Amino acid sequence: MNTNFFDIYIVGVGGQGVLTIADIFTHTAFEHDVPVNYFPTKGMAQRGGFVKAQLRIGREGTGPDIPEGGADLIISMEISETLKALKYLKPGGEAFVYENRWEPTDVMLGTAPYPALAAVAEETAKAGGVLHVLRASSLPEYQGKPVRDNIYILGALMRHTALKKIFTEEEIAKSIREKWPKGAETNLYAFAEGLKANVRA
Amino acid sequence: MISRKLISGNEAIAYGALAAGVKVVTGYPGTPSTETVAMLLKEDIPETKVEWSVNEKVAFEVAAGAALLGQRALCTMKMSGLNVAYDSLIGIAYSGCKGGLVIYVADDPGVSAGMCEQDTRGFAAMSDMPMLEPATVQECHDLTKYAFTLSETIGSPVFVRSVTSVAQSHGACEIAPRVIPPETAVPMERDITKYTKAGSVICINQHKRLIASLAQAQNQLEADGFDKLSLGKEGGVGILTVGVVNSYLPEAFHAVQPYGIVPEEITTLKLVHTIPFAEEKIKACIRHCSVLVVAEELEPHLENKVIQLCYQLGKSVKIIGKNDHTFSRSGYYEASQLIKGLFAAFAMELPEALQKKNNGAEKHCAARPISVCAGCPHRGTYMAINQAIANLHYKKDEVIVTGDIGCTILGMSAPFNTLWTEVAMGASTPLAQGFYYAGVQTPVISTIGDSTFFHAGITGIINAIQHGIPLTAIIMDNEWTAMTGMQVNPGTDIRCQKEGWKQLDIEKIVESLGVTALYVVDPYDLRTTTEAIEKSIQQDGVSVVLARRQCAIQAARRKITYPKVSVNSEKCTSCKVCIRKTGCPALELANGKVVINATQCNGCGICSQVCKFGAIETASV
Repeated sequence: MNTNFFDIYIVGVGGQGVLTIADIFTHTAFEHDVPVNYFPTKGMAQRGGFVKAQLRIGREGTGPDIPEGGADLIISMEISETLKALKYLKPGGEAFVYENRWEPTDVMLGTAPYPALAAVAEETAKAGGVLHVLRASSLPEYQGKPVRDNIYILGALMRHTALKKIFTEEEIAKSIREKWPKGAETNLYAFAEGLKANVRA
Repeated sequence: MISRKLISGNEAIAYGALAAGVKVVTGYPGTPSTETVAMLLKEDIPETKVEWSVNEKVAFEVAAGAALLGQRALCTMKMSGLNVAYDSLIGIAYSGCKGGLVIYVADDPGVSAGMCEQDTRGFAAMSDMPMLEPATVQECHDLTKYAFTLSETIGSPVFVRSVTSVAQSHGACEIAPRVIPPETAVPMERDITKYTKAGSVICINQHKRLIASLAQAQNQLEADGFDKLSLGKEGGVGILTVGVVNSYLPEAFHAVQPYGIVPEEITTLKLVHTIPFAEEKIKACIRHCSVLVVAEELEPHLENKVIQLCYQLGKSVKIIGKNDHTFSRSGYYEASQLIKGLFAAFAMELPEALQKKNNGAEKHCAARPISVCAGCPHRGTYMAINQAIANLHYKKDEVIVTGDIGCTILGMSAPFNTLWTEVAMGASTPLAQGFYYAGVQTPVISTIGDSTFFHAGITGIINAIQHGIPLTAIIMDNEWTAMTGMQVNPGTDIRCQKEGWKQLDIEKIVESLGVTALYVVDPYDLRTTTEAIEKSIQQDGVSVVLARRQCAIQAARRKITYPKVSVNSEKCTSCKVCIRKTGCPALELANGKVVINATQCNGCGICSQVCKFGAIETASV
């Protein structure tokens, strides 16, 4: 793995497995003796609340918080939540969005607005970022069951973002095996499918 | 042997204590400090006593007892907990201790968990106690281990203070091997001049000893060389940082370098403690520099000391900090604050490229109000409170319902909008009593969770009972200290308590207090819960509704299942009343029809009780 400074800001909703993705990257860096600081924030809600994680790779003894305009990569597991992360995006950085809507009750009832993906694209452009969108409906199945979306996302991230300059696909696959020795087969399948996934701008 | 692990700051504190041979570890759960005790409770370390105590004051007293007998003891809490523990803490600080006594407290600048943004360094200043402030996971381990030695050297308790970003960060940590504590304590001398506060002479002598012990800590810290001073260009710029802010310095220097600022020319002082003040090193900075940036989160403790020392030394130095409004007293810091301070120190404009460019994208984000989980028993209680108030023909804004700390406070949010106040652990009932005394003509209701009841709620209820206050106290007992991540408390199922521990029954406690109007209900049953609250409101004196049902998350983990609930699409009229009234995240709309998300739903059945069309059906068991 490469030891350049690389800061990742991850957002999503509690219950989506936001922290699992961060966990895999942290574990991989740690296994290769690369300095890493992983700072998750779960807020007050157990499920359905805003979750974020900040990952700083390559900096020895670094402070945990990424400054505004400082993240090389934003990973968003939910369309609307992307908007909370964009101020942290470095101009020229990448915003990777999983096209998943997790609607709050008021949105479901039609009494509150929900941003369109086009608005997210527009805001990403304003922040000077490059947008990648992974469709949520394209989730592959393994032995008749849909795979875990966060591992699938991990594959797409490794193929389409600058993360490929930090970690190799083999390193991430090894971490997945180590994290879930029992479910390795399913998860490695999800990862491999993610690597093949179509990601659009 | 030293081992290298990927752990959190809170875990590193636990490992640091184990490496110091800690005998007793106590605490009360509180974000962001919880994982220290939580981790140790899972370890197989029979030589060390570990417990979640009933509250922070009790936790501290237990730890202090061990330290008076020469053992090493650690006590953990969040910043709000220190307010609770302080009464005993200052007493022990006066007496001093024999074994190392370390109080770990975690602050939350930027408020990620929802409480007062207080700076507990103020407590260190107020009680003449050293407070070590680790910046990284490794420092959490190293400084905790060291804190025990320092405590024994000065004969007084020592604080270790972290902030959310340090406590919750995960990183590589070199862990020193555990030291097994002695099995038996050293005999305690009976010395009332040391261990009581009987009389003015005793107290004044103890105070003098305490002041001297802080001075000794200052010398010891100076000698042990944790603070790093690096002198730059004479007459130039210096920067003083403390705790987590230290860790942003390399990043800030990296950012300012391209603009002609030379990091090597800047004097730096990186401190691992504010209190005691590192006076010699601070004075060296003052003598050496013409401008000093003082960067610390929250209150300007260090900065004010720098100003005082400048005055003492008769040297005029330009200070960049909070007094000149460069930095804020609120929020957490990262590299940007240091960058801003450095440009101000060099009297340079902050370059365009380094200015924050927030386009305000966040304002287009869908609001995501915090609420209770699918299947949460508290949902039933809030709905029943609202219904009872309506059934008794009061308007919603006529009946004050006070809230307390923990998951139970989530009733403040939509769709319930039940609770009016949140103050501190146990404050709900006394506050309601105050509303009654103030002359409110409508009923007053207080709500409180089980752990909060044991912590500090019980005293307020006793007070209301004694004084014959007509109020309804609703105890929402879900068996767990849930908000902080499911810790055991005195009311938790005996099967989840450690060996030799006991389970206390809130029902028996309340009965024994002389409450005759006590209604024990299941909040999954809206009708009986509502009726109980209605009856309760109409009683004289204190009445208690004990709403009991295990936390849905814990019930699921313990394989407790409820009958499956589903929507009969033929009967569903899409009126959406179920969604509107319960706000349950398991209820979703698919093509305008209500459906139940089977992965979220636990089968609590509350939604089926609000459907007038009987469209939400519970499978027969």
